[in-house]
Amino acid sequence: MTRYIARRLLEGIVTLIALSFVVFGSVHLTGDPARFLLPISNDHDEAVYEAQKKAYGLDKPFIVQYGNFLVKAVRLDFGNSFTARRPVRDILLERIPATVHLALAGMILAIGIGVPLGIISAVKRDTILDKVCKAFAIFGMAAPQFWVAIMLIILLAGYWGWLPAFGRGDMTGWFPEWSQIPDMIAHLILPAFVLALAVIAAIMRLARSAMLEVLDTDYVKFAQVKGLGDRMVIWKHAARNALIPVITFGGISLAGLLNGSVVVEVVFAWPGVGLMLLEGVLSNNFPQVEGAIMVSGAAYILTALVVDILYGYTDPRVRLN
Amino acid sequence: MAADSTTTLLGVRPPLSLRQRLRDARLPWIPLAVLALILFCAIFANLIAPHDPRDNDVVNKLQPPFSDGSHVLGTDRLGKDMLSRLIFGARTMLQVTAPSIVVAILAGTVVGLVSGYSGRWVDSFLMRITDAVLGFPSILVALLIVTYLGTGVWNVMIAIAATQWARFARMIRGEVLSVRDRDFVILAQIYGVSSGMIVWRHLFPNVINTLMVLTSVSVGQVILLEASLSFLGLGLAPGDPAWGILVAEGREFLTQAWWIALFPGLIITIVVMAFNFFGDWLRDYLDPRLRRSG
Repeated sequence: MTRYIARRLLEGIVTLIALSFVVFGSVHLTGDPARFLLPISNDHDEAVYEAQKKAYGLDKPFIVQYGNFLVKAVRLDFGNSFTARRPVRDILLERIPATVHLALAGMILAIGIGVPLGIISAVKRDTILDKVCKAFAIFGMAAPQFWVAIMLIILLAGYWGWLPAFGRGDMTGWFPEWSQIPDMIAHLILPAFVLALAVIAAIMRLARSAMLEVLDTDYVKFAQVKGLGDRMVIWKHAARNALIPVITFGGISLAGLLNGSVVVEVVFAWPGVGLMLLEGVLSNNFPQVEGAIMVSGAAYILTALVVDILYGYTDPRVRLN
Repeated sequence: MAADSTTTLLGVRPPLSLRQRLRDARLPWIPLAVLALILFCAIFANLIAPHDPRDNDVVNKLQPPFSDGSHVLGTDRLGKDMLSRLIFGARTMLQVTAPSIVVAILAGTVVGLVSGYSGRWVDSFLMRITDAVLGFPSILVALLIVTYLGTGVWNVMIAIAATQWARFARMIRGEVLSVRDRDFVILAQIYGVSSGMIVWRHLFPNVINTLMVLTSVSVGQVILLEASLSFLGLGLAPGDPAWGILVAEGREFLTQAWWIALFPGLIITIVVMAFNFFGDWLRDYLDPRLRRSG
C-alpha cells in the first residue's frame, strides 16, 4: 500500500510539474510578456522596455525564470492582474470558495439524484418509469450545458421566478452565516444541477446496471425467498453491494466537476475560478490565466490522487497493477 | 427439422446479399436520417436557406417563430433569419469539427501505433504525455491554447485536435499491445519485414474497427466542445452562423426572444444524440464483446 501511494504521489507531482512547465513555457513561446505590458504609445521606447524587463525579472535566463515562477506559484503568487490591478492571489482566494461550493453541491446532486433513479430504474425494469429515466440520461449526455442553463433560467428564474438567475447572492468566502443559508441554497440549485447533469446521467446508468447485476445474484434471490420485504431486499441487501463502484465514480467525478465549471460559471455569473479564467482569457490577462489554470490543475490532480488512493484501499486489485 | 432456405446441402451458407446484410445489421434509421439531413443542410446551405444568414432586416427584428411566412423560425435583434442561420450553422459545425477530428485521429493513431509497437522508453515517454493530456478536462486545455494563440476558428480547431488525439492514442496503443505478440506478427518479424511495414500492413488493419467506434463515439463530444468554445466567444466572430454563438446571442434576449436560444441548442442536442446512438450501434455491430447488458 505504501508503495502504491508513493508511486501515485510521484506521478501526481510529475504531472503538476509538466503542467507548470506548459503554462509557463507557452507565455514565452507566443510572445514577449514585457513587450505586451508596454502601453501602446510607448511601443518603441526601448528604455521603457528594458526597464520593464528588469522589473519583472524577464532579462534572466529561461530556466531561472521558470524556477522563480515555481517558487512563487507554490505561494499562489502570480503577480498582479493586468485588468484588476491587484494581486492574482487575492482574486484567487476570493474565487476558490465559490467554485468548491459549486462542485460539492454538484456532487451531492449527482449522487442524490443519480443513485435513487438508477436503482428505481433497475427495480422497475422496462416500465414507463425506467424508460423516462433512460430518456433523461440520453438527454443529459447530449445537451450542451450552456443551453440547458439558459433554458432553465428562462423557465425557472424568468417565467416562473422561483429561483435566482445568477450570482451567489450576498455570499462571500467559505462559510455562510445562518441567515444566509436559504439564499445560498437557492442560488446554488440551478448552477449545480446544470453542472451535474451529465454526471447524473452517467451515475444513473452505472447504478442501474450494477443493480441489475446484483438483483440477479443468489443471495438476493435467497433473501426474497426467505420472505423479506421488497424494500428490505432492495435497499439493504442489493443496493449496498451495487453502490460501491457507483460511489467511487461519484468521487472521481468531483475532480471533473471542479473544472467542468467554466461554462456553468459564465452562464450563471458565478464568481468562481472558471469565470476568472475566462475573463483572463478574453482580456489577454496572462497572470490571471496562469493563476486560474495552475490552481484548477493542481486541484484536479490532487482530487484524482486522493480518489485513487481511496480506491486502492477499497479494491486491492488496483494496488497491484 | 426444416432446412433453412439459405442453407445448401453441404451446410455452407452462401454469402449474404447486401440487402440481407443491411437488414440483419438493424441499422439505426432515425439517427442516420438526422445525420443525413444535417449533412445535406451543410452541403447545400446556400441553396436551401430562405435568406442570407448575414442579411439584416431591421423592420422585422425579433419576430417570433411561425408568425409570418417569410421567417419560419423567427428573427434575431437585427432581423437576421433564424432558420437560415441554423442551416448555415450546420456548415460551420462541419467545417470546424471535421478537420480537427481528422487531425486528432491521424495524430492519435500514429502515436498509438508507434507507442504500442516500439514499447520500452518510447512507449513510456509517449504514454506519459498522453496521460497528462487525458488527465485534464478538455475545456481547460482548450482555454490555455486559445489564451496564447488568440481567439479564432483556426485556434479553436487546434485546441480541439490538441485535446482529442490522446484518447485515440491510448485506445490504439491498447489494441496494438493485444495484437503485437500474435503469431502472424512474429512470423512477419522472423521473415524480416521492416517495422514500418509490420505496423502498416499487419497492425493497422487490426485497429480499424476500434478506430471507427471511437471516432463515432467521440464526434458528439467534439461537437459539444466546439459549441462551448463558440458560446464562450473564443471561436468565430459574433454574427457568424455558428450554433454556439446563436445560443450566446439568445442569452441577451432571454425574456423577449426565447426562440433565439432555444432552436440552436435543441439542434446541437439532437445531433449529439444522433451521433451517440450511431456510435453505440456501431460498437455493438463491430464488436459484440463490448455489447452492454440492458
